[in-house]
Amino acid sequence: MRLPKLVRRERASLPVLIAAPVLALAIAALGNLVLYAAIGVNPVAVFHAMLIEPFASYFSMSEILLKAGPLLLSAQGLAIGFRAKIFNIGAEGQFVLGAICASAIPVYMPQASGPWIWPAMLLLGALGGSAWAAITAFWRVRLNANEILVSLMLSFVSLQLLIYLLLGPWKDPMALNFPHSVRFQFDALLPILLPGTRVNVSLLLALLVTVAAWFFVQRSFAGYQLEVGGLAPNAARYAGYSQNGAIWLSLLIGGFAAGLAGAAEVAGPVGQLQRSISTGYGYAAIIVAYLGGLHPIGIVFSAFLLSTLYIGGDNAMVSAGLPIAAVNVFQGSLLLAYLIAATFVRRRLVWPQRTRA
Amino acid sequence: MTNTPNRRNFIAGASVATMVAALGAQARAATADDPLIVTLIIPSPVADVGWGLALFEALETVNADYGEAMQLSVVENIYEGPDADRIMNKAVADGTKFLVAGSFGYQNGAMQIARRNPDVTVLHASGFMVAPNFSPFAAQYSQGTYLMGMAAAALSKTGKLGSVSAFAIPELITSLNAFVLGAQRINPDIELSIVWLNSWFDPAKAQEATAALVAQDCDVLFSNAQDTPSVVAKAEELGVYSFNLNSSMKDYAPNTYLGCVLTDWSPFFRASIEAHLAGSFEGQSAFLGVGDAVVRVVDWSADIPADIMAQIMEVEAGIADGSFSPFTGPIMKADGSEGVAAGVTMTDAEVIGMDWHVQGVTTPLPG
Amino acid sequence: MTQALLSLRGVTKRYGSIHANSGVDLDVLPGAIHAILGENGAGKSTLMKLIYGVEAPDEGELFWQGEAREIESPAIARRLGIGMVFQHFSLFETLTVVENVSLLVPGAKKDLTERIRKLGREFGLEVDPLSHVYALSVGERQRVEIIRCLMVDPKLLILDEPTSVLPPQAVDLLFETLRKLSARGVSILFISHKLEEIRSICTHATILRGGKVTGTVTPKNFDAQALAAMMIGRDMPQLLSDTPDKRGEDRQHLSALSLASEDPFGVSLQDISLRVSAGEILGVAGVSGNGQSELAAVISGETPLPKRLQSKLTMLGREAGALNPAARRALGFAFVPEDRLGQGAVPELSLVKNAILTGHRRGMVRNGVIRHPRAEAFAQDCIATNDVRTPGPRAEAGSLSGGNLQKFIIGRELMLEPKLIFLNQPTWGVDIGAATAIRKRLIELRNAGCAILVISEDLEELFALTDAMQVLSEGRLSPRFTTSETVPEDIGRAMIGASGGAVL
Repeated sequence: MRLPKLVRRERASLPVLIAAPVLALAIAALGNLVLYAAIGVNPVAVFHAMLIEPFASYFSMSEILLKAGPLLLSAQGLAIGFRAKIFNIGAEGQFVLGAICASAIPVYMPQASGPWIWPAMLLLGALGGSAWAAITAFWRVRLNANEILVSLMLSFVSLQLLIYLLLGPWKDPMALNFPHSVRFQFDALLPILLPGTRVNVSLLLALLVTVAAWFFVQRSFAGYQLEVGGLAPNAARYAGYSQNGAIWLSLLIGGFAAGLAGAAEVAGPVGQLQRSISTGYGYAAIIVAYLGGLHPIGIVFSAFLLSTLYIGGDNAMVSAGLPIAAVNVFQGSLLLAYLIAATFVRRRLVWPQRTRA
Repeated sequence: MTNTPNRRNFIAGASVATMVAALGAQARAATADDPLIVTLIIPSPVADVGWGLALFEALETVNADYGEAMQLSVVENIYEGPDADRIMNKAVADGTKFLVAGSFGYQNGAMQIARRNPDVTVLHASGFMVAPNFSPFAAQYSQGTYLMGMAAAALSKTGKLGSVSAFAIPELITSLNAFVLGAQRINPDIELSIVWLNSWFDPAKAQEATAALVAQDCDVLFSNAQDTPSVVAKAEELGVYSFNLNSSMKDYAPNTYLGCVLTDWSPFFRASIEAHLAGSFEGQSAFLGVGDAVVRVVDWSADIPADIMAQIMEVEAGIADGSFSPFTGPIMKADGSEGVAAGVTMTDAEVIGMDWHVQGVTTPLPG
Repeated sequence: MTQALLSLRGVTKRYGSIHANSGVDLDVLPGAIHAILGENGAGKSTLMKLIYGVEAPDEGELFWQGEAREIESPAIARRLGIGMVFQHFSLFETLTVVENVSLLVPGAKKDLTERIRKLGREFGLEVDPLSHVYALSVGERQRVEIIRCLMVDPKLLILDEPTSVLPPQAVDLLFETLRKLSARGVSILFISHKLEEIRSICTHATILRGGKVTGTVTPKNFDAQALAAMMIGRDMPQLLSDTPDKRGEDRQHLSALSLASEDPFGVSLQDISLRVSAGEILGVAGVSGNGQSELAAVISGETPLPKRLQSKLTMLGREAGALNPAARRALGFAFVPEDRLGQGAVPELSLVKNAILTGHRRGMVRNGVIRHPRAEAFAQDCIATNDVRTPGPRAEAGSLSGGNLQKFIIGRELMLEPKLIFLNQPTWGVDIGAATAIRKRLIELRNAGCAILVISEDLEELFALTDAMQVLSEGRLSPRFTTSETVPEDIGRAMIGASGGAVL
């Protein structure tokens, strides 16, 4: 039997680079047409809502930026660890801790004012995320406890901690026992970046973190050591790079970025600490990181892609009357088609050659 | 309390509005090609059972009356937070004039929309904020759970009741308190244990919690605000009675189903939409119960003894005509202090804000 | 003339613009032991891959028992009766020996276990069928590979450098096996750089240079010097005359170290003592799997010594037992590991980035930031001075042939100007040209006053290179032999001595 093989391309050609996502979109769209026909929804309206509407106005474009921010931040931090094969799956928990720590300032000092408040909240949130991730690092280094399990389980713990605070000590006394904190005072909210939208300075921070991540990965010796540890652990041991150091660094960076994202979310569009501060940003960031090829620049694109997909999906429910399940099918099939296409950007199919016989 | 309108006032006011609206029926027909867009936004998917389904079905019922003149749009599974704010904004930008925000967590975003868009009417579930075009609405589940308590006490052999509950918010606390008070009417020594899941929808945890309660000898279970039939189905499996809120789950427990505290929001939605169209909508807190035909107990178990059933019917009639309230003193708090003095009846506002358990609840409130 | 078992006509294989094989003709007769000779990069491995179905030729024809055939995959090759032992092994480390075998050979595990034991005894390839592959040394892994091929009764057996990890006595046993197989009509394709071996066992030899066949000869009719000349196209480089200078101060000292292995399949070190001085090359002889990996890890610092043993190791005048590999390098120590891909170099990274691996102290990092131009210059320098054949410093390490990569790694370590260098199997799998160049560099270094410690299984190499030798057998290190006063038989006896011959 002749089976084709996947062969690595020496260099991805530009037309392929452009054609791949377009083709992926076309294939996914065609596949879903059948589905829409079956459930009696107008496909034109769906595609318009999912793919055009997010870019149709200044405001909706700004919403893509708003939603991409936390994804971008968390994913940049995670990717550094993933490259070193240290799998921090608990960004969700670090995100929540970031939100909690940032909220401590307005909760305990609701009257405080001054320009120091929101920066201090962001810093506290980032440190909180790091501290939460440090628990995982500690047990991994100390007992070789699997960091995937520990960080994931800690995410559930963080959610219980959040609920405890909201039902107990941090409950808004005016809110009749409903589980949320007080609304934050003005100085505890991030300044708006684009007038008339909800996009705030955290987007700038996310871009700054991107540049820092790029520099760390491409230029820093620490980044290089992490990369070697990920690609060839024996080589890292041979060179004398500390494996424990890599674990600490990876998790602290991941926790810092996720914590910062969590802090920016409560101090940004949410404006208070509440039960649902994350729409699964910490988990989505894992997808973003891998979709972006664990590369800081690639992650920028994947964060915006995923953000657009989420917003487009919500739009399709509002304007095209698509049920949530069909939205998920579209998002899933588009990601799958994109991943397949991305494979062919770097590789090509080769059929076994027929020799003269 | 003067600023909390009585529910009957509300419906009566709405009826006047209906008459006014009837005069303008032709006007409505004339704008049929420009229908009223009604959007429902809820935090969980519209499933086969539960809260979301109750809201959705009620709106569909109203929609059926209006036909072409109304267009219903449902946005499901939306987290309470920035996403919900964006989606509500988008819905309004797309022409929604009547918004039903189906979860407490949407309060801030929904209120902002109401303030920015005076021509949009917003109904908000379970909240406490009011504006001229913004009404919070809640069901007096307690009126139904009180009746359920009576039935439960009659059927319980162990004298221990259990509940799998979502969040320790006043609405749910009130339901549990009324459940206990109703049960104590039949058996003064009865007790209630609660497992707080901190989730509206978590089938796996709900099942575990059910098994845990049964293991502690609870033999009648209250599935409190769970958008999954897990508790009811598991209770059937384990052979204990159970009941739930919002929509009937009898199919999941053909043998041990105690009944359903059903909510039918269609009278309220119909009245509100008509008031909106007539331009006479006035935001006020709508706390609706048996007397408003919003709360109803259905699918009563055939196992309930006839004498108890007769008592239940009597109490139900009293609740419906306003002559009886579950929250009339003396009521003791779980910590032993006095909650309501003898002869005093709690106001709606006091009930809405209830943050303590009555005596007989053995599980302390979280937090 | 008898019908050839396998014939190649005009076979060409290109990788991009490089012709790995170009118009190769080859006839392998039934029962022949046919050597393929060639330097690194001459195209031997590629040719074997074409025959074994790993790669498809771009041009040319392949005849199996007189019929034109395409061999599209190794599975098909195996079905035809072609077995191959690769230079880089294709074993799953987390599986046991018998599990690895059962992936390709049908049969109940119990029967396979028995057959492996039997074949092992028959061919001197003893290995515990139930041990995990990760716990095996390179030598033991190769035995598993050979056994795995022999189990399916091949018509043609391809062996890529089979003898490089075997002690002399075992080589004799293997050759006996090969002759038996050949007598039964099995053809053998034999890749080796050990010209004496080829002369003693091979009936035919085809010589490759730059992807082209430069001749097919009967090796017995030529001496090793002549064969080497045909292979590299010029005369053999000569080793420098072996004139040890006066020994300098002790650079490394290991006294009476005993260390139990944490790995249940590992070898515990017992009472190990050795001393290397400036201007001296000390060789550790012995067959892999006798504690070589464990000893190497202790010396390199990859296995940190427990506190009570830390005083047992001194390096460059300091107690070094507590130091990690990086700290030892800082003292002036350098290390060339046994495993090139994945330990000595990161296959996925460029040579520039591989230069940074241990070379980072030489000005390549400032304030935590990598200075790429410096690293590139270093890599470039390393490529040029060590005759590393590669398109350039940006090529991935994994794309280099084994010998070229080894030249790069050794070159990199030497550029660190060590006072003490430790090499584990420095020329394993490296062709004769490259191996000679490496040995020459080591002797120059020794003469310049460096202390050198070499672990090797290649006795020829140790005799050509070292000033003194100790034999590692079953975790024990023999007393010191002075090379000039020793013959290979002495070493062979020491190899067996400690264990009563169990290794063979």
